[in-house]
Amino acid sequence: MYCVETRQLSHSFSNHPDVLKEINLQVPKGSIYGFLGPNGAGKTTTLRLLLGLIKKQRGEILLFDQSFQQQRTAILKKIGSMIESPSIYGQLTATENLQLMQHIYQCPKSRISEVLNIVGLTGTGNKKASQFSLGMKQRLSLAIALLHQPSLLILDEPTNGLDPNGIIEIRDLLKKLNEEQGISIIISSHLLAEIEKLVTHVGVISKGNMVFQGTLESLSSRQYLLSKLIIETNDLNRSVEILQHLQLNGTTEQGKIILPIPSKQTIALLNTALVNAGIEVYEMSAVKKDLETIFMELINV
Amino acid sequence: MNNSFIHCFAAEWIKKRRSFAAWLVFAGGFFVPLISILIFLFYPKQLLAMHTSGHFWELLFLKSWQMMAIMLLPMGIVLAVSLITQLEFKNNSWKQLHCTPVPLMSIYFSKLAVLIVMLLQLFLLFNLGIYISAVIPALLNSHIPFPVYAIDPGYLLKENANYFILCLPMVALQFMISLQFKNFLVPVGAGLMLTIGGLIALSWKYIYMIPSSYTALYFLQTKDNATPAHNLQAWSLSWFLIFILLGYWLYISKKEKG
Repeated sequence: MYCVETRQLSHSFSNHPDVLKEINLQVPKGSIYGFLGPNGAGKTTTLRLLLGLIKKQRGEILLFDQSFQQQRTAILKKIGSMIESPSIYGQLTATENLQLMQHIYQCPKSRISEVLNIVGLTGTGNKKASQFSLGMKQRLSLAIALLHQPSLLILDEPTNGLDPNGIIEIRDLLKKLNEEQGISIIISSHLLAEIEKLVTHVGVISKGNMVFQGTLESLSSRQYLLSKLIIETNDLNRSVEILQHLQLNGTTEQGKIILPIPSKQTIALLNTALVNAGIEVYEMSAVKKDLETIFMELINV
Repeated sequence: MNNSFIHCFAAEWIKKRRSFAAWLVFAGGFFVPLISILIFLFYPKQLLAMHTSGHFWELLFLKSWQMMAIMLLPMGIVLAVSLITQLEFKNNSWKQLHCTPVPLMSIYFSKLAVLIVMLLQLFLLFNLGIYISAVIPALLNSHIPFPVYAIDPGYLLKENANYFILCLPMVALQFMISLQFKNFLVPVGAGLMLTIGGLIALSWKYIYMIPSSYTALYFLQTKDNATPAHNLQAWSLSWFLIFILLGYWLYISKKEKG
């Protein structure tokens, strides 16, 4: 079951046609969905469409199996969001910022101190939000998003401007919220490394196209498919002949043979054949592509 | 909508805390009375003349409104309304507000309601300031008598209500313009142009069509005890209704909501 689903979602701006091209986003309930893509790929536009901040042009948007247009208020009650830079009133304190949202969401007043505690902003007192560091502003925005205990969090690059410690803290917090309270989370980023330790599912968008969508495991499995075996021996030509005899296709580069990684059994067979042919094997190593490289390849298609 | 309007209003009321617009209402309410106090202290004859006129409060009220009605009030409205609306643009918070589970109607009308209540606050402070402007010179200068005359509440209420109604279309118009532009200078510039344009056109035969001139027109009418050629209050309420409806339509028609 999906908490967010889009069907053939397309969008154009007057100065940027085809910002989104038939996006089919599927966010399973209870998942942490990493929405990845380079700057300008269409991530923020997609998230703004989900929240009704931009008028939908083509396609369908379903949140909790309901149409956003028909059930806007009911749907927004279940969503906490943070889009791009923090949205807080600079002349107010952290507590006042939350107080005004508490009035709108009509949640218990006790939630204010709870969320301040969750994001670690309890000691800010009378300090105005405009005097906060960017990290503190991000935390306050997150506190606002969590105030009404939403079942879905939509976070657009929430760790922007945070120091490494802050990033780890936010990551741990989101993981905890997902595991303990079952909150589904959509988190966008342009850096896979930033969220790969957090997400369960990944969607990769590039130039308005969804180029990958699935579990993190399915993205990882591409690592194996795209890995290479490198062989270095004392006789390149005879080694290539033995490879061909075993119906393996490789290319030669800088005195080494490079081929798509075969099965473990085939590697053992190849090694035996080379040794039995009297060839000295200096190197036989697998070079796996890291997720970042796969991600880069996906977005550069 | 009713419940969400009340909740939105409470939230909007918190938002204006410590804002420049909130200070402007406070300062705007006491600015003219403060000037009056200084005038009365340096030129006590002016105040003494009112004391002997038999219509002390009416004359003081009229004198105080002279500065307020012609220039300061329309300009104050332009500035305060633009500043309140600018809070969302400045804090990049339209998107957060539009992601809350409240109808757009509640957001729009709660903001407008806050502006109207702020206008009421300004009127209350201004009236209090008028009273103080009569009392303080009497306390500081023994030659000036203390104003012991009865205040006609009917007159005070009627005149305040008239000025208040005449301010409403300017509030709605400025609100409508301010919602459309992220750049603070655009609505302020437009508002000031309307205000100054209204003053320049005061003798124009169709001046009753320009809402930014209504408070000045009304003051000139009451000062000269002239019979009003047009029902400014009716024009004012009509423009107010037109501007709030047009403003709401423009607001909900925006393709991007933050």
